[in-house]
Amino acid sequence: MDLLKEISESLQKGDDAKVGELTQKAIDEGMEPKVILDDGLIAGMNVIGKRFRDHEIFLPHVLLSARAMYAGMDLLRPLFLRDEVPSAGKVVLGTVQGDLHDIGKNLVGIMLKGAGFEIVDLGKDVAPEVFVDTAEKEGASIIGMSTLLTTTAPGMVRVIEIINERGLGDKIKTIVGGAPVSQDMADTIGADAYGYDAANAVETIKEMVGV
Amino acid sequence: MKRIIHFELEEVRAPREAVLDHQGIPEDAEVPHRILALYDDAASQFASLARPRGMIAEISEAEFREVFPGEGNNADDAVVANVFPKADHLALFAATMGGEVSEAIADHFDKNEFALGVMLDAVASMTADRTSEVIADHYHAQLIAEERATPAHHVLGYSPGYCGWHITGQRKLFAYLTPDKIGISLNASCLMNPLKSVSGVLVSGSIDVHVFKAGYSYCPQCRNATCLSRMERLMASERGSA
Ligand code: B1M
Repeated sequence: MDLLKEISESLQKGDDAKVGELTQKAIDEGMEPKVILDDGLIAGMNVIGKRFRDHEIFLPHVLLSARAMYAGMDLLRPLFLRDEVPSAGKVVLGTVQGDLHDIGKNLVGIMLKGAGFEIVDLGKDVAPEVFVDTAEKEGASIIGMSTLLTTTAPGMVRVIEIINERGLGDKIKTIVGGAPVSQDMADTIGADAYGYDAANAVETIKEMVGV
Repeated sequence: MKRIIHFELEEVRAPREAVLDHQGIPEDAEVPHRILALYDDAASQFASLARPRGMIAEISEAEFREVFPGEGNNADDAVVANVFPKADHLALFAATMGGEVSEAIADHFDKNEFALGVMLDAVASMTADRTSEVIADHYHAQLIAEERATPAHHVLGYSPGYCGWHITGQRKLFAYLTPDKIGISLNASCLMNPLKSVSGVLVSGSIDVHVFKAGYSYCPQCRNATCLSRMERLMASERGSA
């Protein structure tokens, strides 16, 4: 079987050891890292994403495949020069100030990476300035904010205010999500978009950056 | 009087179906062996990490009248406002799984063990959720033992953040209950630490106290209409004992 197809299929099975082994083989055979990434790893993750959306597989299956993807990525990353890591876009992601819960945010990050995005994960309890400072410094076009409780909404509002105060509204767009967040709440606080779940967040961010 | 309860894991542990359902896997689905193995792994890790404990403090109706309005953010038509004046007995409660399990979940994510991390998170979340019911059973048993209620009474928990009772209501609840004694603190956003914790009021009374129609102003936004299933269970148990 074609090596890239084998990588993609092993990834779909969630076999991280095999994906690592085959990625190394492809590198040793002199295959372009970008080709291995796009046509092996991301191609496999795209199939997984679609099957998940179509309810053919369950979340744990997606996460096993994501781990396999990371196993391949870890081998490819050193082969790209710093600014050459191919990326669908850069997203600064974090759980807002006052919130320590990050599973939902982590899931969004994993799915975005699987779709080829570069993620700057700020972790949890992130201060509003840190979101915007990081997005500016990293040249990210999207800030993604996650929360578990509505009491943290003022932190989200503050991020949007800082973006506007600095005149960055055209360059940096915001997306919010988390269990108690709704489209209504996103509209009220002036966020550019709302993500219902991780799969929906990926689709929405793709639309926002035009890929 | 305040009472601390250390739960046996077996009495609080959430059933496997609930853990899988929390991850979007319906009860009738054919679950691949690999996912079941992940569950077994997470369940055994949880058993060695969890320190399930809770606290109860009885509160009079007059005192609860002070606690319930919190900081004035409740919905005008909050369910508890109609429930508590009809109750026979009230007690504030909080319960936690402890912080060790959250550290282990974070550790799995750091090691790219996402599926195991999410499975362990789901085991901990669903068990914490179940603890509200178990602590209600403990309070019911106490009331029966003290001849202040009969087995025909029903004790149910109601929590800030649900059904119009604003989450900022937890500040007054915490001031009265002082659950720092079991290691639970509340931050400025009203987030409890450890994460896998619950709080609320236990309401003891006849079935009529607990049954309401879910047609409140906030019901359409609710992502978690557990009130419906528990009212159904309540009515089924009433029919069963009739
Ligand atoms: C950047 O763009 C994006 C885009 C999408 C994004 C995103 C960012 N971030 C997340 N997403 C989205 O994608 C992710 C993957 O699909 C998703 O991320 P989530 O983080 O939502 O998803 C997780 C992977 C799984 N989901 C969850 O873990 C949350 C599920 C629900 C049912 C829930 C659970 C399980 C729990 N809880 Co509670 N809990 C609820 C939730 C209601 C619901 N149906 O969502 C919620 C969050 N809880 C609530 C409350 C009130 C509480 N809870 C509490 C406790 C608990 C449990 C411990 C029992 C348990 C675990 C909590 C935890 N998560 O660790 C208490 C607080 C705990 C604390 N530490 O302070 C307590 C305060 C209740 C109490 N008084 O005891 C409500 C918050 C209401 C509000 N106004 O803020 C709530 C919405 C339920 C409700 N009333 O409808 C999406 O939201």
